[in-house]
Amino acid sequence: MSVPYHVPWTEKHKPRSIAEIKEIVGEADYVDKFVSWLKNWKPGEKAALLYGPPGVGKTLLVEVVANEFHYELIELNASDTRTESILKRLVGQSSQTISLYGAKGKLIFLDEVDGLTGTEDRGGIGAIVGLVKESRVPIAMAANDPWDPKLRPLRDVSIMIEFKRLRTYSIIKHLKKICAREGIIADERALKIIAELSEGDMRSAVNDLQAAAQGKKRLTVNDVSWLRARNRQYQAFDVLRMLFSAKRCDDARNVLNASLLDYETLMLWIDENLPRQYTDPEELAKAYYYLARADIFLGRMKRRQKWELLKHVIDFMTAGVAMAKTKPYKFTKYGFPQKLLLMAKAKQMRTIRESICEKIAAKCHLSKRKASTEMIPFIHVIYEAPGLAKREISKWLNLDESMEAFLKKQG
Amino acid sequence: MAFKEEIPALWVEKYRPKKLDEIVNQREVVERLKKFVEERNIPHLLFVGPPGTGKTTAALCLVYELYGENWRQNVLELNASDERGIQTIRERVKDYARTVALGDVPFKTIILDECDAMTSEAQWSLRRIMEMFWRTTRFILIANYGSRIIEPIQSRCAIFRFSMLSKEDVAERLKFIAAQEGINLTQEGLEAIWYVAGGDMRRAINLLQAAAAYGGPVDDVTVYKVAGKARPTEVHEMLKLALKGDVMAARQKVYELMINYGLSGADIIRQIHTEVFRLDIPEPMKVEIEDLVAETDYRLVEGANEDIQLTAFLAQLARLGKKTAG
Repeated sequence: MSVPYHVPWTEKHKPRSIAEIKEIVGEADYVDKFVSWLKNWKPGEKAALLYGPPGVGKTLLVEVVANEFHYELIELNASDTRTESILKRLVGQSSQTISLYGAKGKLIFLDEVDGLTGTEDRGGIGAIVGLVKESRVPIAMAANDPWDPKLRPLRDVSIMIEFKRLRTYSIIKHLKKICAREGIIADERALKIIAELSEGDMRSAVNDLQAAAQGKKRLTVNDVSWLRARNRQYQAFDVLRMLFSAKRCDDARNVLNASLLDYETLMLWIDENLPRQYTDPEELAKAYYYLARADIFLGRMKRRQKWELLKHVIDFMTAGVAMAKTKPYKFTKYGFPQKLLLMAKAKQMRTIRESICEKIAAKCHLSKRKASTEMIPFIHVIYEAPGLAKREISKWLNLDESMEAFLKKQG
Repeated sequence: MAFKEEIPALWVEKYRPKKLDEIVNQREVVERLKKFVEERNIPHLLFVGPPGTGKTTAALCLVYELYGENWRQNVLELNASDERGIQTIRERVKDYARTVALGDVPFKTIILDECDAMTSEAQWSLRRIMEMFWRTTRFILIANYGSRIIEPIQSRCAIFRFSMLSKEDVAERLKFIAAQEGINLTQEGLEAIWYVAGGDMRRAINLLQAAAAYGGPVDDVTVYKVAGKARPTEVHEMLKLALKGDVMAARQKVYELMINYGLSGADIIRQIHTEVFRLDIPEPMKVEIEDLVAETDYRLVEGANEDIQLTAFLAQLARLGKKTAG
């Protein structure tokens, strides 16, 4: 049985039309503002700079609108390395060549323009400004914080479209819809907790919902209680980006100070995303070597109450992990740590396994450990086979339904 | 018999001998144990031998015959690998030994199974307990390896060595069970069970029952099918994925093992240890991997994070795999 955690609900359940977006956000003016900018755009006019907090649908709106009005969308992510020449080439190509069939025109979208920093993007902003002025196709951009002084030149050549945080009730409405599609009966109070904790960030709300509800038939307040302790997801993404792109040990070591995440939570995020970030086996092995070292020192620190060891934990998990790279930072889609949810589930299964072992141990004159290694594998087979022996066994061992389900599940 | 209870649904219990005479092989052991029964007296005993050779059964038969109907009141069965530490054992033994034995045997018996799981510290403590209660209590200690039992305990016990069962012994018992259960056990099936289980009677009987659950004759095909299923293939696949360089997919397998089978990190590393030597890779590489397995195992024993350490292990495998391929 494969565990279907691969498809993020943020993808699976994202709105696919302007109407659907409006249904969620109400008659927010930014939708119409963007649509009318695009429809009326002529060469020489301003670009559109969409701004607002993460997870409110900036990128989504651009994608949906482009699709609905048959624009060919050329998307560039800020985290791609982009020197002036790369930008020029890409945008230049797009603005000069003729569109593919069916597409009305092209729409260039530069996501996360406030991510243009450092030496690699040197000249990036200037280049964009130049392109906006010359471009024969509309250019849209998105940013979280457009008021950064270095973005000033961009603001001058753009119309500004503000996205607000989503209202709690809008989020609840959407979460309900997802639950209905997934066949989950959700307690409204649980959805409210998720929505409130998301602080208007739909993406994190949907991610939280998935983490708490996937695979369940019911979602209760209990299922979401662990969310409260967790920090905002986008912060974690930002921290990861900072960490993985750090070129110097000190930059990496500083990421913890720059975030609200505690080191154990960050460790979880790093663990989840290391294999996504480092695809080269050499880099990955090295990075994991240091993450594992961090974990070992975390254990030593806690066991012996030697808190001064913390510095090593942090050095290994930040600098150790960041210095493993041999190639330039590459933009990576990070994921939410599934571990919390998975471990909760795994723990539940372990408890069931242990209680079965206890019952076998009591009747078969052996230890629970031996019951686990010597008996359970065969009992699994018996439960999977068509014979009736399993009924007798359940009765004899006095197994309850969850235990029977556990034994039947294999194969 | 005093132990008329519902018929056990698992054959290892259903066909566990109830009398010393029914025990397969181990003739010398059985003859000497029968002498103890006649004399209504036993010394401390230490049963040593490979799994599935009848040690626990012999201990149980001995107390059944010794105490007859009163065996439940006079026997305490403990498992050293389950009881939390020697302190618990001491408390339970103390409470138990305090009461007087019922019937015509002047002592009670404590069966302590899987003693080689005990630390040497705990064994020293056990030695003291054996001495403190010698007037009222006898111990039957059971272990796979005698060498793991400290000298002072060995010297206080009569030691019985259980030998590996022969193919004929196992075959005879399996045929008996098959006849009782009305199962068609073919010669090929028998051979296959022997090949998989060797002289381990428990495993042999488990294989037989699981194979019989499919309803048809128990032949080599069903036996190998059961043996394959009883050994999850996930671990093998996980190792292969990692060696190919797909750490994400390999990690997903780890999660599946934890969720579907309720296995802990330690369980998984134990299975990895077995599977490494079955991989189709150059022999020296197996040793290199075993080195990584050992390190990971040690870290988990020390209480490290399962997920991080296992994934770190998989990442090392991916690197090894790449090095070998290129």
